[in-house]
Amino acid sequence: MPSLLRRVKSKMFIFAHRRTLTLLDGEYGSVFKGRSLDFDELRSYVPGDEVRDIDWKATARHGSPLVKRYVAVRRHTVLLLVDTGRNMAAQAFSGESKKDIAVHAAGVLGYLASRHGDDVGLLHGNAVESKYLPPRSGEEHVERLLREVDASASLDGPASGIAAQLDYVLRYLKGRLLIVVIADEFLPDARTESLMRRLRGRHEVLWLTLRDAELTGEAGSQVQDSTDVGTGRGIPRSVAVDGKVRAAYAAAMLKRDQGRRDVFHRLGIAEEQTTASGNVLAAVFSLLEKHRSGTFTTRTFARGSTRAG
Amino acid sequence: MELSYWWILPLAAAAVTITTWLYRRRRPQSTRPIAHGGRLTELPEYQQALRRHRTRLALAVVLGAVFLAATATAAARPIQRTTEQPEIRNRDIVLCLDVSGSMTSTDAAIAAVFEDLAKEFDGERIGMVIFDSSSVQLFPLTDDYQYAAEQLTQAKEALDGGTGSFFDGTWNGEGSSLIGDGLASCIQSFPDTGATDTKRGDNQLGDNQRSRSVVLATDNFLSGAPIFTLDEAAALAAGKNVKVYALNPGDMDYGEQPEQPGAQLRAAAERTGGSYFTLDSPTAVPGIVQKVQETEATSYLAAPQAVVADTPAWPLGIALLAGSGMLLLGWRLEP
Repeated sequence: MPSLLRRVKSKMFIFAHRRTLTLLDGEYGSVFKGRSLDFDELRSYVPGDEVRDIDWKATARHGSPLVKRYVAVRRHTVLLLVDTGRNMAAQAFSGESKKDIAVHAAGVLGYLASRHGDDVGLLHGNAVESKYLPPRSGEEHVERLLREVDASASLDGPASGIAAQLDYVLRYLKGRLLIVVIADEFLPDARTESLMRRLRGRHEVLWLTLRDAELTGEAGSQVQDSTDVGTGRGIPRSVAVDGKVRAAYAAAMLKRDQGRRDVFHRLGIAEEQTTASGNVLAAVFSLLEKHRSGTFTTRTFARGSTRAG
Repeated sequence: MELSYWWILPLAAAAVTITTWLYRRRRPQSTRPIAHGGRLTELPEYQQALRRHRTRLALAVVLGAVFLAATATAAARPIQRTTEQPEIRNRDIVLCLDVSGSMTSTDAAIAAVFEDLAKEFDGERIGMVIFDSSSVQLFPLTDDYQYAAEQLTQAKEALDGGTGSFFDGTWNGEGSSLIGDGLASCIQSFPDTGATDTKRGDNQLGDNQRSRSVVLATDNFLSGAPIFTLDEAAALAAGKNVKVYALNPGDMDYGEQPEQPGAQLRAAAERTGGSYFTLDSPTAVPGIVQKVQETEATSYLAAPQAVVADTPAWPLGIALLAGSGMLLLGWRLEP
């Protein structure tokens, strides 16, 4: 079996300019690298670095932007929380398997983390069981995690239930973690939402949503009969292309998307959506960006809620 | 209602069963797996559309079954077996008209009556011979009634007019009104008996089984020396089973002597099994012809025959309807 991480990396290098990659590197660094008072070094500015880290005086002396680097407070631990239930074996928006996109996204994040020397762990599972692979550093470990994800999600596996994994983290994992959740476009129920709120309180949470397949389509398009992996019921093609059904579906999807956005906004969790493995990089980048810019607002939001509580 | 090839039905049923079995056995069609189908399936519009879709599918299945059953039935050749007793009207009538000057109005009346009758004929054959001193066959025995009617119309017009080329060829002999010769040549119009029997099929009656009659219109005023006397001609007629119906418009007999012309004619006609009528005026002709027709109405009932007719109309009609319905549904099901 070829290396999954190598595939992820080659995709990253093929589809992204070097500039984007350094941008991503800088973004990751400024999001996750803590700042201490111990000054380490000055280095030249890389796009993506936090603007407030620029040492203006040194920059003025030097002529080009320089950034202050501090000795990291601690090594971060990144936990990839991936849904590997039956839902993830279904089709994504792009027609790929959602599992493949999940592997790719986990690979990108794992690679970034391992480049920064962070530990990467994995918690995945379905509604029935959760599996935890403790954080370690190194690309070999990332590769192992990717294989685990790749092997777990299958069409004949148990159903998805991200709440079980959220519960597992809250119950058994101590210490502050950087949690990147990779899940599909489910609509959180009240219990899941409260679990997410508690998770948000204890850990840094980033949420990457894999868009689900479009269920309707134009009459002429290549819409096939579909089977719901959750219920096993089929959706006949000719019903899915019916004009009235399509209009109702479009309206319902708009409402649903709005509902999901409201949930994440309410919880203060940075959420980004990706439709295909081709735009995972962009999604990860904008997720990090969102998380960084959202930190301040969520902090005030959190303070507001504590005062209320 | 029965089926010629009833074994097609179990064969078709077996074929349908095997096809169903193969269809069930084949691997499920590849569908795309999707998650959160509830996004679509929980919409009332979708459920409504799905119900419609299912109704159409059920209807298509029913129509398909009807179509298969109807075509299988049609393939089994449904037949209607009936017993028919065909009525055969088999008369040969030769109009034998003396066209000497005194007879034309009677002849015209006879031609007019038969012109009308020819329109109703079905199976009968009619021929026409006119004679004076020699005889001319206007048309031989035929069942081409349109032709016969045409000829009769022409004859009637010519007889009414009394001139023209219609009478050409009737004065070739010596004398006039050679009645014996005329009747003999009329009788020659009938084909020979017995000779045609072998040629005919079983269902058709041979010529000898057809009743033969001659409608002879003459006043029996002989002037000249005929080759056949009236008696000889009558004997010829009797030999060929021809009945002679004599119509005499000018019976001027005095007394009951057998040598009077009317009595001779009556004797000749009755000898062949026919009858003799005297006419007071041409208007009496239709009534007499009617009488002749009645005595001669020999329409036989042939042996009962079993008739087997294919009746594919209703199964094929149902199949057509079901097929059209399926096409319409297929168009609706596969947008």
